[in-house]
Amino acid sequence: MTAQSRAASRSLATVTDAPVTPKPQVPERIVKKEDGQKVAIHTTILLNRNPILTRTPTAFEKAYYAYQAKIERALHNPLPYDFYFKPGTQLELQFDKEEEERERLAFGKSATPSPRVKTEEELRATDEDNADALAALESQQQEDSVKLLPREHESDRTGDVKSLNRQGQRNVYLLVQAKDEAGKKSWMFPHAPVNTRENLFENVQNHLRSPFGIGMDTWVASKKPIGVHRTSSAAKTKENDAFFFYKAHILAGQVRPDGKNVLDFAWLTKEEIKIRVDQSYWDSVKDMISDF
Amino acid sequence: MASLRLAWQASKPTTPLRVAQTSEAATMADPRVDIIRRTLYPANVRSRESPTGTWRSNVGRRLQRAIPSVQAHETIERAWLLHQRHIRRGRQAELERKFKCMKEAMDYLYELDPKLHAEANRVEDPRVRTPQEVQLLKTLKGQEKKAIESRIRGLFPRELRIPTETPSRDGWRHEWDPLIAPL
Repeated sequence: MTAQSRAASRSLATVTDAPVTPKPQVPERIVKKEDGQKVAIHTTILLNRNPILTRTPTAFEKAYYAYQAKIERALHNPLPYDFYFKPGTQLELQFDKEEEERERLAFGKSATPSPRVKTEEELRATDEDNADALAALESQQQEDSVKLLPREHESDRTGDVKSLNRQGQRNVYLLVQAKDEAGKKSWMFPHAPVNTRENLFENVQNHLRSPFGIGMDTWVASKKPIGVHRTSSAAKTKENDAFFFYKAHILAGQVRPDGKNVLDFAWLTKEEIKIRVDQSYWDSVKDMISDF
Repeated sequence: MASLRLAWQASKPTTPLRVAQTSEAATMADPRVDIIRRTLYPANVRSRESPTGTWRSNVGRRLQRAIPSVQAHETIERAWLLHQRHIRRGRQAELERKFKCMKEAMDYLYELDPKLHAEANRVEDPRVRTPQEVQLLKTLKGQEKKAIESRIRGLFPRELRIPTETPSRDGWRHEWDPLIAPL
């Protein structure tokens, strides 16, 4: 607003603009405990990216599934082939070829093949007639087929801990590097002090809307905390801290480090968090994090 | 006369569909009708396997082809059930540890500040909109309004993806800008 417009909006000449006062600092919440020790309350966010990929089955599970599939092939009720496949069509040829492959995979080249699998002579006879038809079908299928991406991502190979595509099968959590009061850089989950105007859940939401979290679409799972980490100092005059953990999920976006509270960040699995974090912190936090 | 008998013999079904038909004759012209009828109304003759049947005459022989032996099969089943039990117990133990953490946190919060604890414990009806939300919705339009309305408090958001066998072509969406800060 220019001076002229300000002058125009004033109703009386005696009215002056109020001096701009700085916003009063909202004090952080400090609670006195019974034994006289003060405790400062903070909230911490356990921001989780859910697994993107299904788990790889173990060798035992794969073998068991193959075994069960073999029994199914042996015992299953017959398919009404003549209803689904008109004799002599391309589709029937394709089906017979695939069926022979499946039988061979399940049972090996055995003495008693299933009724659908043709004998050598029949195969030779049909092959000559239908070689070009089969070739045409195969080429068309190759054009149509969708190329699936590999389960291991580029960031798995390079070890890029900032990428959210890494470790698709596992749960990854956000760990943030910040300076604590002593000025030492340490890795912790992102935390913020609670002030007297809000409850814990509102504090978490506001924290997620702060500069570091505004670039992420998140969802806080519950209004109740999932855990607490308490620090204690030997001196009675100094405050203790209580960090209440809240579980949130990231749906899209990425962290934007603001250089003040959040110097650096990483998306890590449980074992990787253990390496980077202090022992006492780890002891409080380890049971809140999913194992896989 | 002879032609009629020939016609009757020709129209007799090659495979009887019903027990009743083993003695009777049914008239059919088109093999396709026969096929469709056989698929829709499978045979209830018990001497053959059928698509909807529960019995095979050659179960023993086919099982011999499939499994190594009865003892081996039972061992495999028991190993699988044991494996499932380990997984189940591991999952239960993990949940118990997480719950213990939650309980500790809530108990400590109650000790520290009963008001905050009451706020955390408050049960809210997801159908009810808070006064701030109502005020905010009045000021918004279009996409922003949809962004607020689609997120219902207390329910899972739609964007939580189900794990898939292979990743999506675009991967994770790292560039995301908020339409409006959601409540």
